[in-house]
Amino acid sequence: MILRAVEDADLIRKARRGDVEAYNLLISRWERRVYNYLLRIVANREDALDLSQDVFLKAYQNLRKLEDPARFAPWLYRIAHNEAYSLFRKRRPEGETEELQPETMEGAATLGGNAVFPVELTLAVSSALRKLTADQRETVILKIYQGFKFEEIAEIVDAPVSTVKSRLYTALDLLKAELAPVKAPTKARGVS
Amino acid sequence: MSCSPFDLRDYYFKELAENERRLTEVHVKTCAHCREELERLHGTESALLALPDEEIPQRIGFVSDPVFQPSGFRRGWDALWGSAARLGFVSAAMLSAALLVFSLTRPVPQANAPAPAMTQTATQADFSKRLDDAVSKAVAASEARQVRQTQELLAASDKRHALETQAMMVRVQEYLEVEKKHLNTLILASNDAGANGDAR
Repeated sequence: MILRAVEDADLIRKARRGDVEAYNLLISRWERRVYNYLLRIVANREDALDLSQDVFLKAYQNLRKLEDPARFAPWLYRIAHNEAYSLFRKRRPEGETEELQPETMEGAATLGGNAVFPVELTLAVSSALRKLTADQRETVILKIYQGFKFEEIAEIVDAPVSTVKSRLYTALDLLKAELAPVKAPTKARGVS
Repeated sequence: MSCSPFDLRDYYFKELAENERRLTEVHVKTCAHCREELERLHGTESALLALPDEEIPQRIGFVSDPVFQPSGFRRGWDALWGSAARLGFVSAAMLSAALLVFSLTRPVPQANAPAPAMTQTATQADFSKRLDDAVSKAVAASEARQVRQTQELLAASDKRHALETQAMMVRVQEYLEVEKKHLNTLILASNDAGANGDAR
């Protein structure tokens, strides 16, 4: 018997033909990642959930415009990025440049951090991330937490690769200084 | 400042090309400073990853509601423009249909219709006139060419005849001179014979 994993591209093709169940399966593969990306950007669970729903609805409505199904992830995150920044623009008073400050990170320590990670480390990371600019923070999120390549990040945030690298490395230097006094766990996700 | 041949951070994030990665790997094995830098990067990343992902509080899903689906026409329209093969087929079909409609609705020309007959007659007369003109021109040109050639031949013949006549006159003149000399000789000889007879 030949088992074949259903690829995202297959689900996209079915969804394009109006197969809602195929699209729901596609959502189930990506909703957690998109939600956490948005949560770390907008720093509010309710907003992150609302935006996630909007992102998947817009993605469904525009699925036919996706030229290469293999590029679904950057395309989806590009929609998410636009939705998040659209929310920033709505909420930010005219002329104010500073982004919204995260307010959920104190909750993150109690929700997911207690069992596995020390609370102080989680709080220190949240605090360090708050000190970055919005662009730097988003680049760190896309690279460290979402694992995108530089080219994909450049596509998502609509900036040159050199700019993306500059943002990330500047942010990492700042984070390194901020987190130096805090002891990191010996083993973390994605690091062997 | 890193002494690595390529950016150590690119190496750490696996963003280097294969040959660059190999060179950097060789360098890192022998460079304690770069190894320390990589360890610092690893420490920073590990600390960042201490912030775990959260579960989504509510699953996202769509129902097959026509409100959220594009209309049948819209789906067909999008599918048409999304496929070059379909677009080509539809274009060919439309062209075929247009040709068919044109062939069925085209007015059939009537055989005894006066206007086309006049036109045809006029066309034939015009054609005949142009043909006659062309033939006349060709005949005139040919005749002129023949006259010119005849004149040239006659002139050549006359010249040749004059030369032959002149040559013949010269030969006759020479012959007469010879005969005259011969006659004089005979006369002298006769005179000498007469004188000798008288003397005897």
